[in-house]
Amino acid sequence: MALLNRMDWYNLARTTNWTPAYVTEDELFPPELSGGFGLPATAWEGYDEPYKQTYPEYVKVQREKDAGAYSVKAALERSQIFENADPGWKSVMKAHYGAIARGEYAAASAEARMMRFSKAPGMRNMATLGCMDEIRHGQIQLFFPHEHVSKDRQMDWAYKAYDTNEWAMIAARHFFDDIMMTRDAISVSIMLTFSFETGFTNMQFLGLAADAAEAGDHTFANLISSIQTDESRHAQIGGPALKVLIENGMKDEAQKRVDIAVWTAWKLFSVLTGPIMDYYTPLEHRKQSFKEFMEEWIVAQFERALTDLGLDLPWYWDKFIADLNDTHHGMHMGVYYWRPTVWWNPAAGVTPEERNWLEQKYPGWNDTWGKCWDVIIDNVVDGNMALTFPETLPMVCNMCQLPIIGTPGNGWNVQDYPLEYNGRLYHFGSDVDRWVFQQDPARYAGHLNLVDRFLAGMIQPMDLSGALQYMNIAPGECGDDAHNYAWAETYRAMRELKLAS
Amino acid sequence: MALFPLSSNFEGDFVLQLVAVDSENTMDEVAAACAHHSLNRRVAPRPGTILRVRRQGAKDYFPRDLKVADSGLAPTETVEIMFEAVR
Repeated sequence: MALLNRMDWYNLARTTNWTPAYVTEDELFPPELSGGFGLPATAWEGYDEPYKQTYPEYVKVQREKDAGAYSVKAALERSQIFENADPGWKSVMKAHYGAIARGEYAAASAEARMMRFSKAPGMRNMATLGCMDEIRHGQIQLFFPHEHVSKDRQMDWAYKAYDTNEWAMIAARHFFDDIMMTRDAISVSIMLTFSFETGFTNMQFLGLAADAAEAGDHTFANLISSIQTDESRHAQIGGPALKVLIENGMKDEAQKRVDIAVWTAWKLFSVLTGPIMDYYTPLEHRKQSFKEFMEEWIVAQFERALTDLGLDLPWYWDKFIADLNDTHHGMHMGVYYWRPTVWWNPAAGVTPEERNWLEQKYPGWNDTWGKCWDVIIDNVVDGNMALTFPETLPMVCNMCQLPIIGTPGNGWNVQDYPLEYNGRLYHFGSDVDRWVFQQDPARYAGHLNLVDRFLAGMIQPMDLSGALQYMNIAPGECGDDAHNYAWAETYRAMRELKLAS
Repeated sequence: MALFPLSSNFEGDFVLQLVAVDSENTMDEVAAACAHHSLNRRVAPRPGTILRVRRQGAKDYFPRDLKVADSGLAPTETVEIMFEAVR
């Protein structure tokens, strides 16, 4: 039997809206799940997805993608790439898998909400495929690291991380809970797919794929490139939804969701991806700086996408651009200084050659971040190791759940952005984090950040051992310097040379 | 006598830190408690200076012998610990 061409039947087949006779429209599409924004179903029928794919096409393509990724893995399993990789690169893998794998699996639930509850038939079809994408991403990113668990206990965090109260995971959960687990279908399409996946996921997966290939880790490069091809398809779910909202006079509501999600995504990526690109990836394998990547993949991408849709740039755009020079350096220093509290071994990334690279990419680095590193390096060289570890907690932002940081040294501008709400004093890392809270205080006010939990007596004993226990970090899993401080030898030699002269 | 948590913003450092002091501590003692977590860890000492404490955003320092309990500070409020040249 001859098959019809896809476009001869696609639009008819996927237009499955009907007028309910036995229940009301609100019972079929409960507003809190559907997020219809008060628009009738007919308005959502105008949703026109840019990427049209049928189920048989999807299955065929996905099968080929899986076959490709799994055969590269099988072919390279005896290659000892993991065993011989630079320790900084292993940390990249550990941080990535822990923060991403189970989040992808959770995203299947968010896609399923769009699949069932969106009033837009085209969105329901795309989200059906998106939901299966996310199940695949969860499974494949748990299967691939599993072969390394027996070699390195920290690799177990690929599975374990999301079940813990480790501070970076509290931050990741807070973000994903906010943008995808507790929002209606339309808001998910705007906040998860348009705001997060279009830009930030692109950067994590394309940027890391390039770095992985440079580092010789072809299994990882192939895996995340394979995932990215799915992401770039289902990331397009949100754009047409924004168009429907704007055409129906809902621009402000749409804009607000974009502004919230882009900022909170940025903060999470400043701690996850920033240190990886500018400090952990071995210098000779770095393709671009984190800032350059952000400018190409996030700034340019969003400016174009927002303009095309008729949305404005977020009100904080200038601050965001300025923060590309700073925030991730602070996140890196925080992760490094509090390294026993992460499940990977942070690479310091501050050899003289690396500092030259940082100064070139971020003029002024030596006068600011370098000032703090000078003290840390002296302590390592002098053997004052106790001074290179923390004895207290950093203050943590009540929105992004990350340390409240700023520029140190000669550019010192660290600041708290406090807010008293219902008799409780909240602390924020920026005026934008505080603004996000103020958009819906009741939504966020009940959450306790790590410092709130500590002060409430939930972490016992109230010291590092109690904190590690609270974060489920078992002995043998604590982070320490990726290169066992070997990088300090250069500074030791430089000092001896100076003394000799 | 009561444990009093403050947020320490130490001049030249990169992060706010939780510092537990006592409500009976003077501002000099607060400065020393905050310095313990920043000075010689990520901030180099500055010879010829002492440390002063002020509320975030304030121009004037608290008197050096002022007790936390009498300062009007709220628990977890952010204080700035600044280097001041010895006169």
